[in-house]
Amino acid sequence: MNESRAGFIERWMPRTIASRLYLILSVGLLLAYGLSFGLLFYERYVAAMSLMLDTLERDIATSVAVLDRLPAAERGDWLTRLQRGNYRYILGPGETDGPLVSGRAQRVTRLIGEALGERFSVHGNTTSTTPERYQVHLTLSDGQPLTIEITPGAAPVAQWLPVVLVVQLGVLLLCTWAAVRLTTRPLARLADAAASLNPSAGGQHLQEGGPVEVAKAVSAFNAMQDRIADHLAERLRILAAISHDLQTPLTRMTLRTEGMDESHERDKLLGDLDEMQHLVREGVAYARSAHSASEPPRRVDPDAFLDSLVLDYQDAGKAVTMAGRVGAPVMTRPHALRRVLGNLVDNAIKYAGAAELRIDGGHGRPVSIAVLDRGPGIPDDELDAVMQPFYRLEASRNRGTGGAGLGLAIAQQLTLSIGGSLELRNREGGGLQVTLTIEGRDG
Amino acid sequence: MDPIDHILIVDDDREIRQMLADYLQKNGLRTSVAGDGREMRAALETTPVDLIVLDVMMPGDDGLVLCRNLRASKHRAIPVLMLTARDDATDRIVGLEMGADDYVVKPFSARELLARIKAVIRRTRMLPPNLQVTEASRMLAFGQWRLDTTARHLLDPQDTVVALSGAEFRLLRVFLDHPQRILSRDQLLNLTQGREAENFDRSIDLLVSRLRQRLMDDAREQTYIKTVRSEGYVFSVPVTLLGGDA
Repeated sequence: MNESRAGFIERWMPRTIASRLYLILSVGLLLAYGLSFGLLFYERYVAAMSLMLDTLERDIATSVAVLDRLPAAERGDWLTRLQRGNYRYILGPGETDGPLVSGRAQRVTRLIGEALGERFSVHGNTTSTTPERYQVHLTLSDGQPLTIEITPGAAPVAQWLPVVLVVQLGVLLLCTWAAVRLTTRPLARLADAAASLNPSAGGQHLQEGGPVEVAKAVSAFNAMQDRIADHLAERLRILAAISHDLQTPLTRMTLRTEGMDESHERDKLLGDLDEMQHLVREGVAYARSAHSASEPPRRVDPDAFLDSLVLDYQDAGKAVTMAGRVGAPVMTRPHALRRVLGNLVDNAIKYAGAAELRIDGGHGRPVSIAVLDRGPGIPDDELDAVMQPFYRLEASRNRGTGGAGLGLAIAQQLTLSIGGSLELRNREGGGLQVTLTIEGRDG
Repeated sequence: MDPIDHILIVDDDREIRQMLADYLQKNGLRTSVAGDGREMRAALETTPVDLIVLDVMMPGDDGLVLCRNLRASKHRAIPVLMLTARDDATDRIVGLEMGADDYVVKPFSARELLARIKAVIRRTRMLPPNLQVTEASRMLAFGQWRLDTTARHLLDPQDTVVALSGAEFRLLRVFLDHPQRILSRDQLLNLTQGREAENFDRSIDLLVSRLRQRLMDDAREQTYIKTVRSEGYVFSVPVTLLGGDA
């Protein structure tokens, strides 16, 4: 039951809080206004009606008595003096065809008949339905026919009333809009801040202003940001401390092992030590990658940058090639960028034995650098997970090829810190393509 | 190595410095050991030293401070090889900026250290650089270019970073250290041999042409690196040291 209601709300309500509030408040206001307007209208109508009937009754009785007493020749002069806003007197039979159509007309006719008493017999008929008009006929005592033509007034409500109502409604809707905006704006600001949260970048604090509730939420957010930054700093300290303290015993172990006589065991020990060293280095590198925002952005020639990177690999005898050209400088953090690309290329070499780099963009467009290989790729459902630190694909769990599982995590962290994005996807025909995109702001 | 080179090992860890000493001795070097700066100075006073292996992380005066002091003393000519604990480019460089000639990242293997020691000694014997790059002045200016010796990249007149590959940087550094002096291909090959011990089999000629491209130096005009027929190459533009932030 509850679920279906929630589903209903989700389906039929607008998506944003702002429009939901608008909708609820506007519908409520419209209903309330409609009701009170209707009530007012009805009340006024009833009051006016009974007042009108009251005066009509007395007025007409008096007028008819006066006309009846006047000599027939003078009656014409009095007619205009006796007439009122919604009825007038006609000396003559008038139009006598047809019945009385509306209940109100019948009631008025009956009332007139009662007011005039036994002396006059009265009958009425409707002459026009829109606008409603009807005539009540009677015969004065000297035999002259007299007709009372009644034109019931329009709604007994002042013309300006609806205008005032509309204006009021408008003012209220405007207030609603302001209130909703006031409420949702800080929320949006908070959401933006949370989305762009990067505690390693020193975490810019939101300004703690505005209404108490908002200020509270903002200060809670800022405190949370500080806590995250503290945690990150602590993580870095711990990782750095552990790895640093491991250096000396590892060095000793390496030297001691090297001093041993040549044997299979010795080679194995050296291999293990090598792996441990690798793990320690990667761990520190990862911890640092979260704090790498200190490097200032520079104008960098992306072509020379990639070219030198590729040449370094080629000089080391690795099969790394490059295609594409940008031809315009970009603003970026060269050290971090180099580390990211280094990790990606290292990965490609590790799993595929070769890597191909493609660069594109620039001249105001984002620069994208793709690292492609023809290795085994990554199962589609693990593409996101491999960016997590210490995540290794099931197939490479044995450390022979698996490494520390930090290469991509470091690349991802650093990419974020230079304001870029990293996208992994499997290539058609096998292999992995990792695309690094950085803002193409000209230097 | 003609006479037996004397290596001074400065490390606060007794076992490490002893094992290193043993290994180096086994490989034909003479060694002394020191546990801190005081012992290092004492050792320097007693015997001539050809190279100092200096640990960065030490209680009291650390390796960087000792290295800087050394460069300001009468022993400034002794090459220094740093043992650093952290593998991060910024830290790597600091050692070199403080006046070290090379560094090895801990944990390292003794074989690796020996190779570096030999390379540094060979390099400094062959051609001592005539410009001493220091902490305060790490920019070398030549023509329209500046070389940031810390970040190991070029800066063009618009301050755009033009990256260099490791081999290109080393070659340029050799040229900048010895401007207006003819360098033979053999000398260049020896001086640029990668400290990364990578298998560097490109010919010097190819490397020079790559560097010319990087410097936008027309092979026919040859503004910066001139070919000297049958002798080698000469860097023909004056080089100046720029102060810290230039």
